Amino acid sequence: MGMNKRWNRLADAFAGRGAIPPQPEYPEVSLKEMADTLAGFTEETWGGYAFSREPLEGKFTPAQKAEYTAKANACGQQWAERMAEVYGTRSPRLLAERMGMKIEMTQRPVGGGLVLFAQFVQPDEITIFTDCIQRAAKLNEGIGCPLLQKELLTDTLLAHELFHGVEERYETEIYTRTEKVELWRKPFSNRSSIACLSEIGAMAFAAQLLGLSASPYMLDVLLVYSYDKQAALGLFQEICRISDSINQTSRKRGY
Amino acid sequence: MEYVIGVLLLISFVGLAVYAVRGGNLMMGMLIMGVIWTALPLIGNTFATNPEFIAAYPGVTDISFVDAITKVFQSGPEGWGSVLVNVVFGAWFGRVLLQTGIADTLIRKTVELGGDKPVIICVLLSVVTTAIFSTLFGAGAVVAIGVIILPILMSLGIPKTLSIGSFMMSVGAGMYLNPVLSGQFLAFFLDENGKQLITYDDPARLRWAMVGLAVQLLLVILMCVFTLGKKKTVHAWSASAARKSRPGYVPSIALIAPILPVLLLVIFNVPIILGFVLGSFYALFVCGKLKTFRGACRILNKDFFDGVVDTAPLVGFLLMIPMFNKAAELCVPYFNALLGNVIPNNTLIISLAFALLAPLGLFRGPFTLFGCGAATLGILKGIGFSTPYLYALMVIPSITMNVSICMTQSWIAWGISYGKVSTREHLKKTLPVAWIICAVMQAITYVMFG
Repeated sequence: MGMNKRWNRLADAFAGRGAIPPQPEYPEVSLKEMADTLAGFTEETWGGYAFSREPLEGKFTPAQKAEYTAKANACGQQWAERMAEVYGTRSPRLLAERMGMKIEMTQRPVGGGLVLFAQFVQPDEITIFTDCIQRAAKLNEGIGCPLLQKELLTDTLLAHELFHGVEERYETEIYTRTEKVELWRKPFSNRSSIACLSEIGAMAFAAQLLGLSASPYMLDVLLVYSYDKQAALGLFQEICRISDSINQTSRKRGY
Repeated sequence: MEYVIGVLLLISFVGLAVYAVRGGNLMMGMLIMGVIWTALPLIGNTFATNPEFIAAYPGVTDISFVDAITKVFQSGPEGWGSVLVNVVFGAWFGRVLLQTGIADTLIRKTVELGGDKPVIICVLLSVVTTAIFSTLFGAGAVVAIGVIILPILMSLGIPKTLSIGSFMMSVGAGMYLNPVLSGQFLAFFLDENGKQLITYDDPARLRWAMVGLAVQLLLVILMCVFTLGKKKTVHAWSASAARKSRPGYVPSIALIAPILPVLLLVIFNVPIILGFVLGSFYALFVCGKLKTFRGACRILNKDFFDGVVDTAPLVGFLLMIPMFNKAAELCVPYFNALLGNVIPNNTLIISLAFALLAPLGLFRGPFTLFGCGAATLGILKGIGFSTPYLYALMVIPSITMNVSICMTQSWIAWGISYGKVSTREHLKKTLPVAWIICAVMQAITYVMFG
């Protein structure tokens, strides 16, 4: 930060405007370029991104993270096929109906640092926040990204949340819930599940069910873009860095 | 005449309340009140004819114009200088804890201890947050810690209202002991020479502050346990802005740094500024940030700057408070004339009133020292309650209602906006708990100082 900016920040703070730190500025990237780049990222990259949000992240080596990512993706894909077979449909709406899920579509207040897309509340409530869907439709006019189309976006959000419903139903056999890590040293024991595996599995579930070629994880950036361009650019940079780091590690291992 | 002035003072007090509730700039509000509350008693003194009234307040009713304005506008802010210095050093220490990664490591270690058990994580993080904010201060610090803790709580399926409520109230619990915030409250209690009537290391005040911290933390823990006992887990698909790369783990011995200044003060009577300096250098040293003299200078300079920015929004407001406090002293005879027989001179009744009406500490109301409570204190001072009692009486709603849950507090506003929680949802979750804390603490205050 330059001297001028620092003094401006101090002056702002004394004027009562600087209590919350300002958002940094990131290099400009067009939305189209961003969407194309994100669509090309591998499962490993998205796994790395998911683990960067994992509370227990510090417990795992890069190799362990890659292994967990692969297994969680496989889990999501397998359960998508299994559910489609059991309930005889690949439509998330019909699937939700046949599984007895309650679906609510609601607008959600906007602004602030966290953008909410959808949520699942135990045992069977799914809420889709339509505000992000409407914004995505407007955003899509310029870039033509299939994932941002209203119908497909709604189905993707629904399918993602459905996976959490599936986890609830099959808690004792689904990998994302049965996989545990030991946190304490012997003779004490505290076995914990890994929260991000559930999210990785949910993304894979949605992609498999709907036959998506790109990971729904890219919506994290694209939907945030419709609320806060700078935040989305920052997120994009962060994921690019994760991708670079994972590629470097892979090259070192000689893959 | 004294009644007319008393009524005009009360009207201006109500005006300040309305102004504060409507979100007016409190720095300007305090300055205007300082001017009004200096002018009105001076006018009253000029026209007062009742000899008993004049004789009852020597040095106040016969004060000269020059002495009055010197007392209010010069001696007042000058007397606050010592508090300001504490605030700046505390803010610097806070920045050191953030930049070295000590706060981050403390949180990560806590989460790694609790794993995926929402109740345990919520309780442990509440304890750690309280410990951190027993010394750390400022909106910047709360946001810096909040962006680490809140996503963790939410990723474990803890409802957003509880995540934000428990985090903010844990911050508030730490504030009972926080030397920086306490210094700002203590600035309301200065004698005629600007000397503090009650100090941070006063044993009875320290005991009371520790009890306050424990009571608020306990109630936050109970809130977590009861809410998570009956609430369903939520899995939300959400995204937030990019995160800074985490600073990495620090050595375990660095983790005691957050409570070091308070420990040094309580156990070894080390003055708080020296405590902050020792704590900062200890943190920088054990985290390997003092390898070169040049590097150390750069870090010190940057952390000091950031720390000052963290507290700057409060400094302007707090420099006006002593003016208002001094002006309030000039008003004492008029408030006594008007309210002396109306406001009970009984600590039990006052404590009960503060317990029952605790939400008046919200929205910069008459029970918070960061709002028009400064005027309430002026009135109560005139009645003659003891300083420790008045301090505790006013600080409880100021911390538990204002600093811990009120949307007019900058970091609470950030938190509810960050988590997409409505004001109504936030208050529904936190207000009953905060009210209970206030009631319990008022009872304790009555027993200790009443």
